[in-house]
Amino acid sequence: MSELKQGAARWLRGKAEPSSSLVRWMVALGLLGVAAAIGQAFCIGQILDGALGHPSHWSTPDLLAVFAVLALVRAATGFLSERAAFGTGASARRRLRTEALGGLLAAGPALLRERSSGELVATVIDRIEALDAFFARWMPASRLAILGPALVALVVLIVDPVGGLILAGAGLIVPVGMALSGLGAAKASRQQFSAMGRLQARFLDRIRGIGTIVLNGRIDDEARGLAQAADELRQRTMRVLRVAFLSATVLDLAFALALVTLALRFAARLSGGQGDPGSALFVLLLVPEFFAPLRTFSASYQDRFKALGAAEALAALPEAPLPEAPRDIRNVAAQGIAVAFENVQLTWDPARGPALDGVSFRVPAGETLVLAGPSGAGKSSVIEILLGFVPPGGGRVTLNGADLTTLVPRALSRLTAWIGQTPMLFATSIRENIRLARPEATDAQVADAVRAARLDGFVADLPEGLDTTIGEAGFGLSGGQAQRVAIARAFLKDAPLLLLDEPTAHLDPATETEVLDSLRRLAVGRTVILASHSAAAHAFSGNGFAVRRLDLREGQVVTARGVA
Amino acid sequence: MIALTRVLALWRRRAPWLVLGAVISLVALASGVALATVSGTVIAAALLGGTLAAPLWLRVLAPARVVLRYVERLVTHNAMFRALSDLRVWFFRGLAGRAAGGLGYRRSGDVLARLVGDVEALDGLYLRILLPMAGAAMLLPILLVALWRLGPGLTIGVGLLFVASAFVIPAWAARLARGGGKRVAEAGAAMRVAAVDAVSGIREVRAFGLEGSMLASVQAREAALFSAQHRQSLGVAWAGVIALLCGQAALGLLLLNVGTLAGVLAVASLFLVIAAFEAVSGLPRAGWLAGQAEVAAGRVVAAAEEPSEAGAEPLSPAAMPPGSALRFEAVRFRWQPDRPWIFDGLTLDIPQGFRVALLGPSGSGKSTLAALALRLATAQSGRVLLGGVDIATLAAGELRGRVGMLNQATHLFSDTIRANLLLANPAASDVALWAALDAAQMGEMVRGLPERLDTWVGEAGMGFSGGQGRRLALARALLSPASVLILDEPCAGLDVDTEREFLTTLNEVAGTRTIILIVHRLTGVEQLDRVWRLSGGYAVAAAA
Repeated sequence: MSELKQGAARWLRGKAEPSSSLVRWMVALGLLGVAAAIGQAFCIGQILDGALGHPSHWSTPDLLAVFAVLALVRAATGFLSERAAFGTGASARRRLRTEALGGLLAAGPALLRERSSGELVATVIDRIEALDAFFARWMPASRLAILGPALVALVVLIVDPVGGLILAGAGLIVPVGMALSGLGAAKASRQQFSAMGRLQARFLDRIRGIGTIVLNGRIDDEARGLAQAADELRQRTMRVLRVAFLSATVLDLAFALALVTLALRFAARLSGGQGDPGSALFVLLLVPEFFAPLRTFSASYQDRFKALGAAEALAALPEAPLPEAPRDIRNVAAQGIAVAFENVQLTWDPARGPALDGVSFRVPAGETLVLAGPSGAGKSSVIEILLGFVPPGGGRVTLNGADLTTLVPRALSRLTAWIGQTPMLFATSIRENIRLARPEATDAQVADAVRAARLDGFVADLPEGLDTTIGEAGFGLSGGQAQRVAIARAFLKDAPLLLLDEPTAHLDPATETEVLDSLRRLAVGRTVILASHSAAAHAFSGNGFAVRRLDLREGQVVTARGVA
Repeated sequence: MIALTRVLALWRRRAPWLVLGAVISLVALASGVALATVSGTVIAAALLGGTLAAPLWLRVLAPARVVLRYVERLVTHNAMFRALSDLRVWFFRGLAGRAAGGLGYRRSGDVLARLVGDVEALDGLYLRILLPMAGAAMLLPILLVALWRLGPGLTIGVGLLFVASAFVIPAWAARLARGGGKRVAEAGAAMRVAAVDAVSGIREVRAFGLEGSMLASVQAREAALFSAQHRQSLGVAWAGVIALLCGQAALGLLLLNVGTLAGVLAVASLFLVIAAFEAVSGLPRAGWLAGQAEVAAGRVVAAAEEPSEAGAEPLSPAAMPPGSALRFEAVRFRWQPDRPWIFDGLTLDIPQGFRVALLGPSGSGKSTLAALALRLATAQSGRVLLGGVDIATLAAGELRGRVGMLNQATHLFSDTIRANLLLANPAASDVALWAALDAAQMGEMVRGLPERLDTWVGEAGMGFSGGQGRRLALARALLSPASVLILDEPCAGLDVDTEREFLTTLNEVAGTRTIILIVHRLTGVEQLDRVWRLSGGYAVAAAA
C-alpha cells in the first residue's frame, strides 16, 4: 500500500469517528439477526427431529410459533439495518460535503490557481457520493465478519464441541487462505476496480473530445484504439484475477469443507446410534449462517477501494477553518476609503519569481488609480490582495490606515465591490443574480441598479423580464450583457471601494465603449482601482477624472503619476 | 425494455462467451443447491439406515462446486470485459456519427460525462442482473419437480412464494427504480449545478461574502437528493423484507406439513427450499439495478441512435473540387424554428489563400459560420460552396479533410504529445511534428521536457498552462493537411501578450492556406486580406 493510500485510510478512519454509534447500532442489529437465525435453525432441527421419529421436548406448534416470531425478528432487523445504513451513509455524506465545501469556500479563489473547478466540483459531488457505501456497508460488514461467525461458532461449541471446533477451524482457513493468495479479495477488488477505472477514464476522455476526433476524420482509428485498449486491459486484469479469485475460492472451499466434514461426522455418529438428529441438523443449518457475514464482507471490499480513491482526493482539500470570533473591525467606511500599499511583496509560485516585488502607492478616498502594464506585471495580484483572496507576503496594505490583514473577510467584502474580466452568472434569475450583492435590497433598489447599469432596455425584451432564468439551462447572455449585470451588482452594493480587473478585456470595441461609460458613472464618489491595458485605461481616466496611474512591470513599479 | 434489448443485441457477437459463462454459472448454482440438499439428506439417511450413495455424492459435489465457482468467476468476468468493450465502441461510433451531423458540436462536456455515466450503469447488466435472473429461472422448475412428491398443494404454495420472491418483487423494485430514479437523477443534477455555481463563482462568492448562502444552497439541494434517495432506499428495504418473508413462509409451510412426510424426503425438501430461497435473496436488489439500467439504456440508445439533424450524407458524393475558395450564397440559418435567424441572406466570398477575419460580438453567429462551412449544420436556404461545388454534395469526411478547424472545444487527449499531434495527420514524420511545434512556439518547451514528444498530456491538457494547451492545439491544426483553416476565437483564455505572440506566429506559419480568423476583436498584429463584421444576420465589409 502506498503512502498516499495509507494517508487516505487514516483520513477515512478519522472521518468515520462520528458514525461509530450508528455503526454499532447496525452491528447490533446484524448480531440480533444472526441470533434469530440460530433460533430458527434450532426450531427446524427440533421439528425435523420429531419427523425423523425422535420425540422432542418441545411441541411442534410451539416451535412453529417461535419460528414465525423469529422470522419477523429477522425481517425487522433486516429492514432496520437497511434504514440505518441509509441514515449512516447520508449523514456521513452531509457532514463530509459541508466540511469539504466549507473548506473550499474558505480557501477562496487562490485554490483555482492549482486546480480546475471541474475537478473540485467532482470531488465535492461525485467523490463524496462514492463514499456512501463505505459508511453504509463496509463499516458494519467489516465488524460483523468477525462477530457474526464468532457468535455462531460459540453456539455450536456449546451444542457440539467437536462440531464447533470444525466450524471455527474452517473459518480460520479464510483469512489464512486470503493471506496466502496475496490478500486475494483485496487484490481482486482493487484490480477489477482500477481496471474499470482506467477504461472509463479513457472512454470519457475520448467522448469529451469526440468533436475533435470527428473533425480530424479519425473515428475508425479511435474506435479501434478503444477496443484494443479494452482488450489489453481485459487480458492484463484477467491474469491478475486468476490468482486473486483464489481467495474467494478459499471461502467456497472452507464452506464446502465445513459442510461435508460436519455432515459426514454426524452421519457416522447417528448410524452408530450416538447423538440426536435434531442437534445435527441444527449445526448443519448454521453452516451457511456462519459464512454469510464473511461473504458480505468479501463483497463489500470494492466499496473500500472506491472510498480510498475518493478519500485521497478529499484529504487533499483544505480543511474548513475554525469559525472566526465575531470580531468586527473599526468602521473604516465612514467617508470613503483611502488605500495604501507599503513595500508589498507577493509570490504565487517560487519557481516563477515574485508577482509583486516591493510595490508602494497611495490612493486618497474618492480618487481613481489606473494600474497599467502587460499581463503578468502584477495588476491582478494587487486587486486580489485588496479582495482578500490572498494575504500579502510582505509589507503592509492599509485601508484608511487599518491593516488589511486585521479585517475579517466579511468586513472586507462589505467595503468592496469588484468587477472582473468575465463575471460569473449563477443559474438563477437575473434579479437574484443582481440581488446577491445586497440580499436585503428591495425590488425597487434592484430596479434602480438595473437602470443605472443600462441593463433595463435588454431586460425589457426578455420573456420574463428580471425573473428570466439565466445560465446553462436558461437564457444565454452576451459578454457585454453579463458585464452589465456585474455593474448592476456593484451599483446595488454601493461599496466605497471599487476594484476593476480588466473589465472590458473580452468585449468588442463598441461594447467596450458603452461598458466603460457605465463604469465611469459607477465610479463617481468612490475610490477606484482599475487594472487594464493602456488603451482602455486612457479612455477611462480621461473625461475629467484625475489621472493617477501606476505602470507595473514584472511586479515592480516602473512609473507612477500622482500616487506617491 | 426496448432499449435494454437493443443493448443485449449488441452482445450477439459475444454470445459464445456469455452463454458459456451463464451455463457454468447455472451448473455451479445447481451444484451448490444440491450440495446443501444432500448434506441434510446424509444425516436423515444415516439415521434411517438409508443408502450409502449420499456420502459419495457429497464427496463429488463439494469439490465440484468449489471448482465450478472458480471457473464461473473467471469465465463470467472475461465475458463481461468483452461485452463492456463492445458497448463502449458501439456507443463511441454512434455518438461520433451524430457528432459528425452536428449534435456533439453543441453538447456540453457535462452532458457527455453524464452519458458516459449511463454507459457505466450498464456494466453490471450481465454479472449482477442477468446471471442471477437466469439462476432463478432455472431453480423454479427444479423446485417444483423436487417438491411434487410432497403433494400439489404444498408444491404450488412454495412455488408461488418462490415466484413472488424471485420475480414479482424484483419486478416491483425495477419499477420503483424507473420512477424514483428520475427524481434522484434530477435532484443530483440540481445539487451539481449549485456546487458548480459555488466553485466556479468562488471569486464572486468571496467578493460578495456569499459563503454562507452558497453552502446553504448546496445543502438544500443535497437534502432534496437525500429525500429522493430515502424513498428509493425505503422501497428497496421493503422489497428485501417481503422477499425474506416469502422464503420464511415457504419454510413454515413445509414445517407445517413435516409430520405427514417421510423423514428423508422432509429433510431433503427443507434443505432444498432453504438453498433455493437463499440463492434468489439478492434478486430484489438486482431488480432495482435492472430498473436503473433500463433508464440508462434508454438514454444511451437514444444518444447513439438519435437521427442526425444536419444534412444527410449524399448517396453518391461529388468529386472534390481542385480549388478551395469558400463562398456563402444567400444563406439563411437558425438553430431551432423558434429561435431568431442567425443568418438572414448571408453572402460572403473567401478566395483561396486569403487571410480573412470575421468580427462580431458574441451571439452574432461567428461560430455558426464555421459549423456551416464544416457541414456540422445545414442552412435552411442558400448554399455553401467549396471550389464552386455545393458542400452538401460532398462527402463529409473529404470536406473536413480540406477544411480544418481550431476552436475552444478543441480537445487535448490524455495521451502523449506525439499521439495528440498525430491525430491531425497520422502519417506525419517526427521532423514534421517538430516543425509544427516550432511554428506554434512550443518546440523549445517540449525539447526541455525529459520525455519530449512522449510526454503525457494529463486530463484535458492539464499539466500544461492554458496558453501552452492552445499552442499545442495550434500545432495540431498546422499539421493537418487542410487547405482552409478556421480559427474560432483561438486566443480565448490567453493573456494579451500570449495572444499577440500567437497571432504573429500565425502570420508566419500559415503558408498558402486560407485562414479564416473568427474573433471578437483585432489586436492589430494580424496581417489580413479582408475583414468582415457580422451583425444582424449579414456580413459587412470592414477595413482590411
